[in-house]
Formats: sequence, structure tokens, C-alpha cells
Amino acid sequence: MAIAREEIDSKVQEAVAAALGVDNEEATPDATLMGDLGAESIDLLDILFRIERSTRVKIQAADLAAHIQGGIPDEEFGDANGIITDKGMAQLKQAMPQINPDELRGNLQAEKVITLFTVKNLADMVAERAEAGAG
Amino acid sequence: MKLEGRVALVTGASRGLGRAISLALAAEGAAIGVNYRSGKQQAEDVVDAIKASGGTALPIPGDVSDYEQAQGLVRQTVEELGGLHVLVNNAGIAKDVLIFNMEPADWLDVMKVNFGGVFNCTKAAMEHFMAQGEGVIVNVSSVMGERGWVGESNYAASKGAINAFTRCAARELARFGVRVNAVLPGFAPTELVGGLLEKDGGRGILRQLPMRAFAKPEEVAQVVTFLSGPDSSYMTGSLVTVDGGASSTLGLGAPM
Repeated sequence: MAIAREEIDSKVQEAVAAALGVDNEEATPDATLMGDLGAESIDLLDILFRIERSTRVKIQAADLAAHIQGGIPDEEFGDANGIITDKGMAQLKQAMPQINPDELRGNLQAEKVITLFTVKNLADMVAERAEAGAG
Repeated sequence: MKLEGRVALVTGASRGLGRAISLALAAEGAAIGVNYRSGKQQAEDVVDAIKASGGTALPIPGDVSDYEQAQGLVRQTVEELGGLHVLVNNAGIAKDVLIFNMEPADWLDVMKVNFGGVFNCTKAAMEHFMAQGEGVIVNVSSVMGERGWVGESNYAASKGAINAFTRCAARELARFGVRVNAVLPGFAPTELVGGLLEKDGGRGILRQLPMRAFAKPEEVAQVVTFLSGPDSSYMTGSLVTVDGGASSTLGLGAPM
């Protein structure tokens, strides 16, 4: 049986807070992992392994970027200068519904998109995987 | 028994220190994956000795200098012994020669087995350890990695690499509940250091050792056992010398 969404939210919040050494209240759904919370690559790994242990949902660090990019090839995701294309932006809006494409259009570097990823985006991803796994 | 219910993989376990380490860990209750590259019969002897004492062990063939084989060792241990909690990176070789006469292959071969084996097996085991939120790695290094000796530059460099890697791996893995330490034996009369003892039965070396004795493999194995178990729970990134005082010496420390 799949675990309830509220349970996923709280497990993800706990994992983020524990890995980053912050209070649960600071790891709000809207907080960006690498921006607001200052997570580095080893922190992301720590978060993902904590989530794996508490929810049994396994997410590889490389999956995060792939999830955000949604299978769009690099050359279509960003233009020659590495700026996100319209096609890329539409995908980002799906993976991270909170973003405002009008604000970001024309100056968002492909390599920076990961910094927009929030605690809630991560929980969405875990929920998606949990459902797929349970189904 | 302090390692009851634990599974340990010991590389290069068919003889020398690896054999002694396998027996010592088994005596504390751990099930042992007895890795070997070429010493099949000797590895089976180690397994038989452990079983004869009521323990659990399995011979596991594989060359640690090859990453895919290292992955295979870890997989086989987990599948057939039901888990993995302790990795002892012990496999090592030596090809002693003066730098003046050394061929590039002489350092590369030694580096591939000694440091490459540590890297490959650590990398192969780490995801399992991180996923379970605990694990212990003990690297069998050498005091040679910290001091100079004539004719051992390749071996010493490989052990120095292991020491540096031990500290970095400890740093990266600590938050995942995985401890990484190294033991740095001095002179233990195993086949590996046979060449050093040939000359005069080792008397020239013995005179330089404060304790006037070579290490017994069991004495090194006991320190590995300590680092593998709960008594060293707050230790990580440590390089523990087991050398009868050898590396504490400045020159001959005399006269007085």
C-alpha cells in the first residue's frame, strides 16, 4: 500500500531538516533546497538516503536533474548560451509549478534550474515514485 | 561477542594479515566473506577454520584492482551472507625496488592493487552502507605511507594514498553513519614483507624497533577488530599505528 501524502510530506521535511541541521519549521514546503536552505551536493545525497530509509522510495541524485528536465535533450532545453528555451520553460513549470516563467524567461541558466527546486517539489517527486512503485 | 549478526568482507583474506583478520572478526561472531585472488585452497582453509569454530564464512574470488570484480565481491557477500556491515580493505602487493631501477609498471601495478583496491571496494560498498545508514570500513595501510624506507617508494606511495583517501572518505561518509579508519602496521613477518627479512633474518630491522619484536598478525587483527566494532563508535578518519613504536622513532633515538 502506498504511503499517505501527508506522511511523505512530513518524512521529506524531516529528512531535509536533519540533513541540513535546521529546525523542521525552517524546511518549509516553499523553501528552495540549494537556494534558501543552502544545500550542497553532499547534503542532497544525505537527504535522498534519509528519504530512502524512511519511505523506501529510492531517488538517485542524478534523477533530480532528469526529473526537472523531463527528458528534453540538452540542446532543446537550453539555447547556445545555456539560457532556458520556451520549451524548457514549459517543462520547468510542470516540474516546479511555483515558478513564474515570465520573470525567468531569457535569463535563466540551464545549470541554475536546480536552485529553484523546493522541499515541496521533492515531496511531489517522492509521491510520484511511491505511487509508481506501489502500482 | 561484539560482532554477532554482522557480516564482514575481508579482501586478500587467504593469507597473512587478511587471514588473521578474518579469524579474529569471526571469533567475535561476524560472518566472513573471505576474498582471494589466486589462493583458492588457502582461502578455503580459512573458511574451514572459521566453520570448525562454529562460525560462518564463504570463499569469495575476485581481483580488487578491477572495479567490476569489486562490485561482484560486494554483491556476492550481500546475497549469500545476507548483508554487509564491515569492509576490511586488506588486499595488497609489494614490488620493492630502488627508484633508480624502477619501471613505470612497478608503481602502477602496486598502486592499482593497493590503492585501487581500496577505492574500488569502498565505492562498491558505499551505497549499501549509506542506504542502511551504517557501516564500517577499515583500510589496512602501513607506516610506510607516513615515513621513508629504501626500496619501497611505490608501496609507500600507495599506502600514503590510502591514508589520504581514508581521511577524505571518513569526512564524506560520516553523516551517513559510516566510519572509515585505517590501521598502519609496522613490520609483520608475512609473505608480503618476506624480502625485507631475507637479508639477516630481519635482525637489522628488529634492532630498530623500540619493542624489539615484529608484529604478530593477530596483534594487527585485534586492532582491526576494535575498529570494526562498537567499541570504536566515535572513531573515524583515524590512522592507527600498530608498529611496536617504529614510527615514533627519530633516527635511532640514541645515544643517551
